[in-house]
Amino acid sequence: MDAFVQDLIHYSPQILAGLKNTLLLMAIMSVTGIAGGIGLFYLSLAQNRFLRRGTERFISFFIGTPLLVHLFLMYYGLPPLGIRLSAFAVAVIGFTINVSAYNARYLMTAYNGLDKTQIEAARAQGFRFFQIFRLIILPQALRLSVPSLTNQVIQNLKDTSVAFLIQYPDFFAQMQEIASTNFQFFKTYVAAGLVYLALVSVIVAAARRLERKVALPGLETLGRA
Amino acid sequence: MTFGNILIILAKGAGYTILVTLAGIGAGLAVGLLIAVLQTTKVKAVQLLLAAYTFVFRSIPLLVLLFIVFFGLPGMGIRIPPFLSMVLCLGLVSGAYLAEIFRGAMAAVSRDEITAAEAMGMKRVQIFFYIIWPQMFRMAVPGMVNEFTSVLKYTPFAYTVGIPEIMKEAMSLAALTLRGLEIYLAVGIIYYLIYKAFVLLFETLEKRFRIPGLAGE
Amino acid sequence: MALIDVQDLIKRFDGKEVLKGVTMSLSEGQSKVVMGASGCGKSTLLKCLNLLVSPTSGRIIFKGEDITRPDMDIHRLRQDIGFVFQHFALYTHLTVEENITLGLRKIKKMKTAAAREKAAFELERVGMIEHRNKYPAHLSGGQKQRAAIVRALAMDPAVLFLDEPTSALDPQMSREVVTVINKLYLDNITMLCVTHDPFLAKYISDSIVFMHEGVVVAEDVAERLFYEHEDPRVRQFYLSVIDHR
Ligand SMILES: Nc1ncnc2c1ncn2[C@@H]1O[C@H](COP(=O)(O)OP(=O)(O)O)[C@@H](O)[C@H]1O
Ligand SMILES: [Mg+2]
Repeated sequence: MDAFVQDLIHYSPQILAGLKNTLLLMAIMSVTGIAGGIGLFYLSLAQNRFLRRGTERFISFFIGTPLLVHLFLMYYGLPPLGIRLSAFAVAVIGFTINVSAYNARYLMTAYNGLDKTQIEAARAQGFRFFQIFRLIILPQALRLSVPSLTNQVIQNLKDTSVAFLIQYPDFFAQMQEIASTNFQFFKTYVAAGLVYLALVSVIVAAARRLERKVALPGLETLGRA
Repeated sequence: MTFGNILIILAKGAGYTILVTLAGIGAGLAVGLLIAVLQTTKVKAVQLLLAAYTFVFRSIPLLVLLFIVFFGLPGMGIRIPPFLSMVLCLGLVSGAYLAEIFRGAMAAVSRDEITAAEAMGMKRVQIFFYIIWPQMFRMAVPGMVNEFTSVLKYTPFAYTVGIPEIMKEAMSLAALTLRGLEIYLAVGIIYYLIYKAFVLLFETLEKRFRIPGLAGE
Repeated sequence: MALIDVQDLIKRFDGKEVLKGVTMSLSEGQSKVVMGASGCGKSTLLKCLNLLVSPTSGRIIFKGEDITRPDMDIHRLRQDIGFVFQHFALYTHLTVEENITLGLRKIKKMKTAAAREKAAFELERVGMIEHRNKYPAHLSGGQKQRAAIVRALAMDPAVLFLDEPTSALDPQMSREVVTVINKLYLDNITMLCVTHDPFLAKYISDSIVFMHEGVVVAEDVAERLFYEHEDPRVRQFYLSVIDHR
């Protein structure tokens, strides 16, 4: 058998552990990112002008700055102050904020495309704002954002590879370690790339099903970008 | 050392960051346009090949691609310098995304107008240049700005191959002073300023060339 | 000799025969209207004549040469045929003036100043000069169609094709456009116009070609065709389009 394949088999426990860490991080940030995104979206519709502005600034800042900077800030910047977070904690916090900002953007874009007379109608019926948000705005905005939100999940999977730069033992970190012991850099990294390719294919297939499932007449999303 | 000093020291790396970003955007535009144009051919094999290209380069993380190119290819006898490796990877990946953006925008150009141009006697190339592209670029602005922002935000990866951009400067400085918090905060601020400048530039360009009835999504 | 001479033109779209042997002709200075039920192949006929659609068989003689021969220069042919579409098809990113000058500059290789002068002259004729710097999005339907007619005419084509030029317009705007086309008719511009509008047909044509399921079944002047024609399908068609108004 090819020596390289033997290597992969030999290291497979390590690779699988890395893969588990990668998928765990992706799953967590996908969930917390949606929750955070909805929260930011709600704040961006607030009555209070300062709150609204502040939320927009916050979103814009995290969209405009690299994720790696946030991770480094927490991972290398906090310990001198006596705050020591694990790589996992840093990754979860950093990714959650970043993904939330993006998801909030998608929801805001979808909201801007909504027919606002519905909100007038709901107000006329006597609904409170939170009810309008929960019952009228959110269900539609979420549906319209499905392609963007699922694209973000793919992005999340890919972004987990960044966590290796703060020593989080993800899949790519393991592959990098293997490469530096067997010196088969090309083959090892290409193999890593193929694994990401396969995982993305799975997510895409799942996303297609979800899109079909949540589609409502008159609220079809316009395919993915 | 004050926070102001830190900002000034790091701002020196910003030159490289901007250079990498612009080169990456340029490469991405070239790749994206090429694919978008090739996609209009009716040859099945070409279409399949391009679909595979966009799928692959939208699926593999940039960091992994960069490692394949910079650390992997030398083993195959291909040695690409750091800056070129970074720009190549940015171009390949953002090209795949831009191609999709351009394809969407091109599909939004009215079929009637293209027929009218054909009926007028315009050649294929003329139709591209005078009818399709001017409309496509305008409609693609929001998508392009997003993609260019992504390119900017990928540039810190350049430190992994030794390019002295902001992140690398910050890491050396942090190792020296142990003031990581302020330093990375400063990095964040510099990136945000560059981002804002890019967005402002594009908004200005977009306004300057705006045409009624033709806006991004 | 006729400007356009069509003999036994056949067009099939994957097996479906849409034109089943059309024979007709158009002389210089003549204006004909093509009428017939929806789907009978009128648009396909026009598109075959400037090779936007390639004919399956038959002969099309334009200015004495057979344009169906394989080495025909289709771009040169199309420059010689102005085309006006039902939905205007103005270029969204160009102003009215730029819509008109684009073809003059890029296809006819005219200098910008000369092209603008020509555009101004033509726009004046249809009462559109004050709109020359507007974008299509800011025009009414009637204004758009007048601009589209000017765009086609400015190229000095040998013949002007119009495919249902008033169908997308309300009666008021339709009137504006009919007036313009009528003026062209009185100026002896060679035209071939598809329409369902008997009012338009009557005021802009020397004769009406009546098509039914891919063939020409009758040709005559408006009055005789509609009131006295022996083919009941023709009289029936006229009644139906009258009813629709
Ligand atoms: N590109 C095409 N491919 C297939 N069928 C077509 C195409 N263009 C037209 N047809 C068919 O040819 C018939 C005649 O169309 P058309 O010439 O547009 O009719 P008209 O203009 O008289 O209403 C219709 O049945 C239409 O569906
Ligand atoms: Mg038709």
